[in-house]
Amino acid sequence: MGGTIGIIVDISLNSLVLSGVFLIVAIGLNIIYGLSRIMNMGHGALYAVGAYTGYTLVATGFNYFVALVIAPIIVGGIGLLIERTIIAPMRKRSMVYTLILTYGLMFFLDGMIKYVWGNKPCFIDLPAFMQGTLSILGTQYPIFRLVTLFLIAGIMGGLMLFLNKTKVGLILRASSTIPEMVSCLGINMSYVHMGAFVLGCIMAAMAGIIAGPLTTIDPLMGSEMLISSFVVIVIGGLGSLRGAVLAALLIGFVQTLAEFFITDLAMVIVYVLMAVILAFMPRGILGEGKFE
Amino acid sequence: MNNTTTIPGIKKRFVPLKIFIVVLVFVGLGLFPFMSGNRFYISMINEMMIYGLLAMSLDVLLGYTGALSFMHNAYLGISAYVVGLFLIHISPASLWMACFAGIIFTSIVALPVGWVQVRTGGLAFALLTLAFGMMFHTIVWKWYDVTGGDDGLMGMPNPDITLFGWKLGSTGDPLAMYLFTLVIAAICFFLTRRIINSPFGAVLEAIRENEDRASFIGINVRRYKLLGWMLACLLAGISGALFILYKGYIGPSTMSAFAGAGVLMMVLLGGLGSLWGAFVGAAIFIYIQDYISTMTEHWEIFLGLVVIFLVLFLPTGFVGLGDHLKRFRKG
Repeated sequence: MGGTIGIIVDISLNSLVLSGVFLIVAIGLNIIYGLSRIMNMGHGALYAVGAYTGYTLVATGFNYFVALVIAPIIVGGIGLLIERTIIAPMRKRSMVYTLILTYGLMFFLDGMIKYVWGNKPCFIDLPAFMQGTLSILGTQYPIFRLVTLFLIAGIMGGLMLFLNKTKVGLILRASSTIPEMVSCLGINMSYVHMGAFVLGCIMAAMAGIIAGPLTTIDPLMGSEMLISSFVVIVIGGLGSLRGAVLAALLIGFVQTLAEFFITDLAMVIVYVLMAVILAFMPRGILGEGKFE
Repeated sequence: MNNTTTIPGIKKRFVPLKIFIVVLVFVGLGLFPFMSGNRFYISMINEMMIYGLLAMSLDVLLGYTGALSFMHNAYLGISAYVVGLFLIHISPASLWMACFAGIIFTSIVALPVGWVQVRTGGLAFALLTLAFGMMFHTIVWKWYDVTGGDDGLMGMPNPDITLFGWKLGSTGDPLAMYLFTLVIAAICFFLTRRIINSPFGAVLEAIRENEDRASFIGINVRRYKLLGWMLACLLAGISGALFILYKGYIGPSTMSAFAGAGVLMMVLLGGLGSLWGAFVGAAIFIYIQDYISTMTEHWEIFLGLVVIFLVLFLPTGFVGLGDHLKRFRKG
């Protein structure tokens, strides 16, 4: 074994992968919140739906990378349906009601997952070339985790290009700062909210199918991820993208370290960290948060 | 001096008809076990009253202060564990000491949590309650040596319910426990009602309506929010003590997020901002739960659908149903 250096390489790569998954889920939540001031409690369940859809696609014979494209489209469609039927009518109501509504949505989706796929854990079969290990500084590291890192970087890069270089991205960015002005320019805000929600769902599903091979897929994965991504966006500041990146790196690192040294109570450390940061920096580590 | 200033927002307190109905319900519930010998209904109403107390404590927080707590059952759980551990390890017979220890410990835990939470806005407050609730759940679940982990706390003794030498019976006796719960729940209800109808309650409602304006007129918003939070946690602690005495057992599933959603749903079913509505909501919820869980294991789907339906179409709950009917009659 690689000894101390091997452990360091292992921990840092693992925490990067974990941070990446947190980041993609949290940015989806952040986009929805930043554009329509709705905190989607069902986001974790949509992430789990993405992972399960990916599992079914791979199990029926699709290539892993094909599933990575198809599953988010399916979940995006589910998101569109949810947005039009229950989220859109709640636009004008108080925030407490939307929180409770999406909380109900979470239980509905979790129940549906258990109904369709059952309670037992599932595993995504990887393509042959991703199953081996690669030697990095004397430690054997699984190749698929490295591929995952590249995928996360690709998704984040694609999202940044979409938000910064396209016209739709421009509209989304403008709507998150001055929605009234965008609306005055003749852009239908209802479509912007819809687009934000669907984009968030697509991000959640992508994260789900990427995280699938890393962990086992079970019905609890959604609520665990929901809590973690809340921690990330609360620490990073609600609606702040740069803050979310920093917070995801921080939480991924802290959680990997805590899981390595004290296995059982790892999450308690993360919650305490969040409480301390919120008590002294209520707008997140960069001070960019938009709390209502 | 006779300076009776009327504070807006406080309803007229003395209404003979209302008091008559409340006394009638109380006496009716008190006589119920003597008229019907059915053990099943006695223990079901007992559970309804305990959860009603918990739902009422959440209603103080959500309906009056406007702060959402996703996992209020965590405080029921903490209190129940402490009462159980006290009875098992320290003194198996001292009921009042155990309850006192449970409620005090719950308050001690809730104080720093509340201190952090009131420093944030409405949304972050709600998310923090979820995070802290999950934290308590994880601790109880993983700390096997003390809490018994997944198996829960077992081997509870059944102390006698005594007050000033007058003995009501053992907590293992459903009838004695029922009457004990009824009296405690009634006392808590009237005390909370009194607190909510005082100027303190009016301040809480002012904060709910507009936090900025409340602070402009000189109200220390954080302090009052913390007081509201502590009141809610204290009541949850009392319901937790009753819970473990009634069940004789507590496991981590009582403190899960799923159970927390159930409490939230009781408050929604009953209607926000009226303390008695929470009891009605708890009664409806527990009755439906008993009914549906015998038919299907996919109870989560129904819970989710009912919550969505309630928020979309009946946000005022059972309490608001009367207003709907009135409007319907007037055309």
